Amino acid sequence: MSRVALGIIVATLAILLGGGPDAVRGQAPTGEYKIGVLEPLTGNLAFEGKRHMEGLEVVRDLINERGGVMGKKLVFAVADATDPTAAASEANRLITREGVKIITGTFSSRLCGAASEVAARHKVIYWESSCVDPRFNKRDLKYVYRTEIDATGFGWYNIEFIAKHLAPRFNLKPNQLKVAFLSEDSSYGQGVTESARQRAKTEFGMQEVMLEYYNWTTLNDMTPTILKMKQLNPDVVHHIGFGNDAVLFWRQSKEQNFLFKALVHAGATGYGGADFGKALGNDANGVFALLEPGPGFRLEALRPEGQQIEKAFRDAIQKRTGTYPFGAHQLAGAGLWLLKLVLDRAKTDDPEKFNAAVMSLDMPVGSMINGWGVKFSEVGQNANDRVQHYMLQWQNGQLVTVWPEEFTTLRAKWIPLGAWDQRK
Amino acid sequence: MDPARRLGPAQIDVLAQLAVATVLLGGIYALIAVGLTLIFGIMRVVNFAHGEFLMLGMYLAFWAFALYAVDPYVVVLISIPVFFVVGLVTYVLVMRGVIQASHNVQIFTTVGLSVVLQNVALVAWAGDFRFVRPWHLSTVIRAGSTTFNLSQVVAFLIAVGLTVALVAFMKWTHAGRVMRATAQDRDAATLMGIDTDRVYRLTFAIGIAAVGAAGVLVAPLYAIYPTAGLQFVLLAYVVVVLGGLGDMFGAMLGSFIVAAVEVAGSYLFGTAWKEIFYFILFILVLVFRPAGLFGQRGAETLGV
Repeated sequence: MSRVALGIIVATLAILLGGGPDAVRGQAPTGEYKIGVLEPLTGNLAFEGKRHMEGLEVVRDLINERGGVMGKKLVFAVADATDPTAAASEANRLITREGVKIITGTFSSRLCGAASEVAARHKVIYWESSCVDPRFNKRDLKYVYRTEIDATGFGWYNIEFIAKHLAPRFNLKPNQLKVAFLSEDSSYGQGVTESARQRAKTEFGMQEVMLEYYNWTTLNDMTPTILKMKQLNPDVVHHIGFGNDAVLFWRQSKEQNFLFKALVHAGATGYGGADFGKALGNDANGVFALLEPGPGFRLEALRPEGQQIEKAFRDAIQKRTGTYPFGAHQLAGAGLWLLKLVLDRAKTDDPEKFNAAVMSLDMPVGSMINGWGVKFSEVGQNANDRVQHYMLQWQNGQLVTVWPEEFTTLRAKWIPLGAWDQRK
Repeated sequence: MDPARRLGPAQIDVLAQLAVATVLLGGIYALIAVGLTLIFGIMRVVNFAHGEFLMLGMYLAFWAFALYAVDPYVVVLISIPVFFVVGLVTYVLVMRGVIQASHNVQIFTTVGLSVVLQNVALVAWAGDFRFVRPWHLSTVIRAGSTTFNLSQVVAFLIAVGLTVALVAFMKWTHAGRVMRATAQDRDAATLMGIDTDRVYRLTFAIGIAAVGAAGVLVAPLYAIYPTAGLQFVLLAYVVVVLGGLGDMFGAMLGSFIVAAVEVAGSYLFGTAWKEIFYFILFILVLVFRPAGLFGQRGAETLGV
């Protein structure tokens, strides 16, 4: 390639990446406080990334109506993190060009690692709202925080639900329960499954009858797995699905008349996605998925300050999108609100003082959006038992909140599941 | 509990069901592979965009069902002419330019086409998983203790029918003879007055029509998303290589072998193992019988 061509390409890229003559340089004057926001806004992660943006913008407005942060109006410098490379280069740009001292994002476990790495190198605060990769907080990076639990936290909650809610309703002790673990083999699936196995075995003595991982992108038939499971006769199937695999397992289990007492999943993929209900209609009845709160969630169960902000948040999302908040709204929104609480306390973005404020926050469950509480560990991870998660169940085409019971008006049905044609 | 323990009535039931699963899954693979093996056999082009035409077929079924509530079994009839035309257009716009070029160029072209089609689908219809839910979805036929999914049975029967029809077409029609002649020696065929461009055009269009129809038929069984084709296309290559290039019955048998390896591997060792097993088989065949299990010796170099 000639030098001229190379020069043109480099110049084009520089302009595309935001180094053009009109790009805003440096921190805006007083009156505004700017943070960097990294979300995938184009490409195949964009669907969720845009919902995150909606959640962030709604909460930004709520914050500004309530006095902003550190006495200034909160504004965003938004960057599009399409993939890990873009996440890293855009984080770099936000820091060096926009001069931000705090970056929040990024929805995906594919992006948060790369972006936080860059922030840590520049001693900039990295505030993650949604990625669940368990490795995120295990890299000894300073000033890197995560408000949501990680994948291992999902496993923790699933076993909590199985041991404390399902087992008594089956009239079984937790150590009498036979559990089959089935999962897609991403770092998310493995993180949830391994932590669930660990807790099931050591804390409750549950009997693991099967463990199987698979690659969901090449899975065309689950009949062999189902036939094997049928012989092992589990009470609970702990299945982390991604997409097609969840539908395939459920449909083929019905075809093979595979009967078990409950199926528990975690996260917004597979059984936790709207697609699952669309694919199966009322045949989806009975499946459990650990998620953020959905229909049935009781405001009154929260503390007064939590009720106030949860209601304002829910109304604002409803006004903007016409729907109940989706998981992406809830994660991004709660993350940003929590950032405000920290800044209120720290009164500065100096990383050391910010860190001291993060560590000193101690709020019980029910204090904020999603009914969350706050207690960060020294590696910057919010605690499992404070980031309250909820078990939702497919009931006649809708995912509704059924557990913990004090947080919801609705109740889990079909326990145990019973015959396939009786779940109406 | 060891699934391979002593044979009792319960084990026989399981074996019977595994056999049924093999045949029905093999039927789906055969349905997808038949168009690929035709294009591969006659044109000597590895069509890496094959899976994307399958995906387009699935989307056709989805939109016909979502917008006009047309059953996939009706759509399949429409899909054949539609995808025949899609195949013709693709041939004229893309394939004709590279048909004389080296295999590398053809591979790059079809891979490029594959990426383009995936991204067109992503832009046009977003990355969501979509599903077709006709009334016969999940309709199950029970025979003794074994169960048959109706959609899979239909896919299987159509796969067999399509294979037989294509074999008959190749064997007994003038067009078929011309196609075989072109496959054996393009230059000689040209000298005999055969319009090879027309033969390739027809071959490509028939191959794409077959995979488009396959996409419609599998739409009720699997999620529909822009990269859905990738789920099957690697398998289809294994099937085609196993069966011998361009050998229709070979492809069908290859499909059943791959399905059997997949089902038995998943049952005995776990789902994660299935690809290891059938790709080992794939490599063994390439090393020891490069013409495929059923292909004639030397066929692998025909026309190259």
